[in-house]
Amino acid sequence: MTPVDIWRAPGGPTAETLEALELEFPMLARLPGMNRRTLLRVMGASLAMAGLTGCKPERSKDAVPYVTQPEGITASEAQYYATAVPFDGWAQPALATAHVGRPTRLDGNPEHPASRGKSDAFLQAAVLDLYDPDRSQAVLTDGAPASWAAFDTALAGWRTAWARSGGAGVRLVLGPTTSPTLIAQLARLRAAYPKLGVVHLPAVGDGLREAASVAAFGKPLQGHVALDRARTVVAIDDDLLGPGPRQVAQMLAWATRRGDAADRQHLYVAEPTPTLTGAAADTRRAVAAGRLPLLVEAIAAHVGIGAVPPGLDTAEAAWAVRMTAALRRDAGAALLAVGPYLPPATQALGFAVNDRLGNSGRTLWWSEPIAARGDDLDALAADLAAGRVDVAVALGCNPVYDAPALPWARARLRLHAGSHVDETARASRWHLPLHHALEAWSDGRAVDGTATLTQPLVDPLYDTRSLHGVVAALTGDTRSDRAIVRASWPMPDAAWRRAVHDGFTGGAAVPVAVVAKLPAAPPAPAAGIEAVFRPDPTIWDGARANNAWLQELPKPLLKTVWDNVVGVSAVLAAKLGLANGDMVRVAAGGRHVDGPAWVLPGQAAATVTLFLGHGRTAAGQVGNGVGYDAGPFRGSAWTLADVAVTKLDAVHAVATMQMQQAIDGPGIIRVVKDARGKAGENAPQDSLYPALAADAKPNSPPEPRWGMVIDLDKCTGCGACTVACQSENNIPVVGRDQVARGRVMHWLRVDRYHSGPVAAPRSFFQPVPCMHCEQAPCETGCPVHATVHGPDGVNEMVYNRCIGTRTCSSYCPYKVRRFNWLDYTGGAPASVEAQRNPDVTVRARGVMEKCTYCIQRIRTATVAAARDDRAIGADEVVTACQSACPSGAIKFGDLNDPRNVAAVARKDPRNYAMLEHLGVRPRTTYLARIVPDEEA
Amino acid sequence: MAQHFSPTADTWLRAGVAAVALAVVVGFAVLFAWVRGQDHNDVARTPPQPVAFSHKHHVAQLGIDCRYCHTSVETAADAGLPGTHICMSCHSQVWTNSTLLAPVRASLAHDRSLVWQRVARVPDYVYFRHDIHVAKGVPCSECHGRIDRMQLTYRKVAFEMQWCLDCHRNPATRLRPAAAVTDPDWTPATPGPNPLPAGGRKAMVAAYHLKPERDLTHCAVCHR
Repeated sequence: MTPVDIWRAPGGPTAETLEALELEFPMLARLPGMNRRTLLRVMGASLAMAGLTGCKPERSKDAVPYVTQPEGITASEAQYYATAVPFDGWAQPALATAHVGRPTRLDGNPEHPASRGKSDAFLQAAVLDLYDPDRSQAVLTDGAPASWAAFDTALAGWRTAWARSGGAGVRLVLGPTTSPTLIAQLARLRAAYPKLGVVHLPAVGDGLREAASVAAFGKPLQGHVALDRARTVVAIDDDLLGPGPRQVAQMLAWATRRGDAADRQHLYVAEPTPTLTGAAADTRRAVAAGRLPLLVEAIAAHVGIGAVPPGLDTAEAAWAVRMTAALRRDAGAALLAVGPYLPPATQALGFAVNDRLGNSGRTLWWSEPIAARGDDLDALAADLAAGRVDVAVALGCNPVYDAPALPWARARLRLHAGSHVDETARASRWHLPLHHALEAWSDGRAVDGTATLTQPLVDPLYDTRSLHGVVAALTGDTRSDRAIVRASWPMPDAAWRRAVHDGFTGGAAVPVAVVAKLPAAPPAPAAGIEAVFRPDPTIWDGARANNAWLQELPKPLLKTVWDNVVGVSAVLAAKLGLANGDMVRVAAGGRHVDGPAWVLPGQAAATVTLFLGHGRTAAGQVGNGVGYDAGPFRGSAWTLADVAVTKLDAVHAVATMQMQQAIDGPGIIRVVKDARGKAGENAPQDSLYPALAADAKPNSPPEPRWGMVIDLDKCTGCGACTVACQSENNIPVVGRDQVARGRVMHWLRVDRYHSGPVAAPRSFFQPVPCMHCEQAPCETGCPVHATVHGPDGVNEMVYNRCIGTRTCSSYCPYKVRRFNWLDYTGGAPASVEAQRNPDVTVRARGVMEKCTYCIQRIRTATVAAARDDRAIGADEVVTACQSACPSGAIKFGDLNDPRNVAAVARKDPRNYAMLEHLGVRPRTTYLARIVPDEEA
Repeated sequence: MAQHFSPTADTWLRAGVAAVALAVVVGFAVLFAWVRGQDHNDVARTPPQPVAFSHKHHVAQLGIDCRYCHTSVETAADAGLPGTHICMSCHSQVWTNSTLLAPVRASLAHDRSLVWQRVARVPDYVYFRHDIHVAKGVPCSECHGRIDRMQLTYRKVAFEMQWCLDCHRNPATRLRPAAAVTDPDWTPATPGPNPLPAGGRKAMVAAYHLKPERDLTHCAVCHR
């Protein structure tokens, strides 16, 4: 066992943060200008007002049955449907939960081969978009309400003209898509109007992948990595485990090897800016993006391709030798992953190295392109600029924000179809509101190429149409959406019903055998400061900027919320005198962008990171004006060499959870050298609590004893659990100001720690739900018994008893309790209320809350088992966080059942309890992180 | 200097203080009586319903089982309020022109739900499930009263937590064989085809695998 010397923020806690930590409720310490008299006055008023909260109109007694009860629907029970939600054009397989026709939750589809029931934060949060009160609800012409009838009339006129001109001067702009139906529709459209142009905006996570594929193979191909087959992975700025459409599939595959004690995968990373892959790596090296091509060339040279490039320093040269040795050792079961944002020639060289080592076709394989391919984006920009575009139609995308280089306003007639009145809608004559994915029939392909079907769960909430419907209208196709999608899948009706029920049909993409050509040498690295661009870890390309769950989800490594920052290294910060939040200007080529600086531990010294997806002006009331927009500064580059960074005379208060709910004690994070390493059992120490007999168990078998084990070695910090918990447990969003006051409500926080030097730290993630201590201090503190212990070991919260003394929170050593300082739920728009899980109480102001181990799921399973007079299945109860976790790091269940995953994990030598010395006997324990003893 | 207070002032003060104290006590007593009283809890009230439906007629006189209309009572939290088509499964054949049933026929004709007034309900923060109670032999009449004797439906008990707990702590005196839960006339003495097992109702607790003190009385059983 090795307790790690950990820190949360570079430079350690300041005097200010230390002082705040001493206070039990730092959020109370900042009441502005409050003297004793004012306080008394406010308290008196509060007392008087408190009485009024009892005066609520009586709940309606109306009971409204169906006229004809639909088969299989009971008002109180949830229904589940397989469907899918798009992400960068890829279908993310989902199992949607609906209560009386109201979608309330999205999980992964357990039967789908690409996700096996797992999900990421984006999928979890997609259900909130359905209920977004800012969704567009009507057709607009020049911003004024119009009707679909008016649009149909206008379209009939245009179609006559297009039929004559063959669609000359008509350009369609779409987002990335893999939908076979949409691809077929576009082909029909082009057949009807041969001169019509169709352009797909690139997927932000794909970077320069297509160019790399063209450079290596002479044609665009879709790359796939198989991390489950790799014993050694060297990732050069390739965030294999990071956010994006492939995160779930790749984390699943990675976790199978990571958890294999006998044959654990080696993961080595070199990257300019910290990523989740770097945090999970055995060793990580911070290298400027401009120098990474040299490292790839050096590795290539060592396997016999080309010569070792000049300009490597000794450490880098030695690193390349070590990496080559590791790759050679596992040749055929190794992977050199070169990131999508590196120059195409460098990526192509990486493909060639994998060819040479025999990895291609095993850990890295290719298929024909899956996403739709359209005309050239640059050609469209030129056409627009030259005034050659008569009609520009943006379909389900936002080119004004996503592709600022497109002079959208130069088209004579501009149409926009989308879910929101966004930047493009504002710059267009016509705006057409579109369905949410949960309202529409559609299809798509999952990242592995499996055809995935989207079925609607609910009638459209507003007067909207589907994207398929709008495209169909352009060709005069008047079939229903279902008929259009159905026609893409020629199969018997029984098979179709099966496919819709399962949510997918057919197999994954078929590999093609190709050999990478040796590309021309990539450009030489430039000196000076470089800027790299990354999609925002929780907002991605900005399309989700109006999703409050994602805005309030802490960025995994930064722990900032409701903002994007300019990531700088500690070295650069010291050189420019920057503190977190100081505004900086990043300038190059006559353009610049301003944003708040943020020190990223592990950032390459001369690299600044700019995050995309923020600075929206027409996202909606949640996303407007959050952060800065790096898009116009980026243009089409992913790395800008030789940028100037200057400190501005302004400070921006960035809300961060970096130091919030900080806990202190020995051995919070523990590390072992291999899977057999022992992590648990500190020397016994004095406890405030009477010792339980060593063999004492609050209940004896076969009664359930609920507990949770979280494997820190498999946790990548992605945050899917936090959003899954939020969606399941009706957890409110509190907003930037409240977060800054330390009032965030997430029941499950993911603590991030670093150890070692700021320039090259090791990073750790630790999800912290309620520990459900067997000797829970909170229970002794509550004067009204609002938090009590259940016989199965669950620390229960009784909201109706809670009077808000907050004593329990001050007694909690793990800081997992959350208090409703304000009425966070009462003022929610009616549409957002429809998302809430009816099985969980919506908490009001003045009430304490915390993780319940998803007591509603425990109760449902317990009652179902009792009703059917059987025992609860070994893994029958699955908490929301566990169901989401793509790497299976969270395990839950009955510790008395030896078949249960958590009970098995408890016996792992790596098992340890956080703050074990307090003697509170937490039911949630951790498995220590495995860090092999290797040179970085 | 003249006296500020008359000789009787002290008495008046004492009487006043006593009166205020009495008013407070009586006030609280009245408030408490009102809160706990049946009137406040809608007990024995028959709210106006769209159709003057008689459980007495359908259950006692016609002998229709509860589950014919309340279809999900064995499988779900909600017992299930019957849809119009369930009413019409009989009333398309009998009483087809009754004026009493005009709203039912209109509901089917216009595909518009009947809007009933709920009689028995628990607060939002109580997560009650019918299925488990039925499976464990808690008879319908234990909570809903003798529905088969109600011309118009009313609430029999106030559904207070104490009342729930009485049974959760000591279910033995109330349980029946599961097959008899919907039988309004069942008694241990006249059990019909569903007699109590040997050992009587105490044995039912064991047969249903109930551990009242352990499993049925902690907060999360009903609140979450």
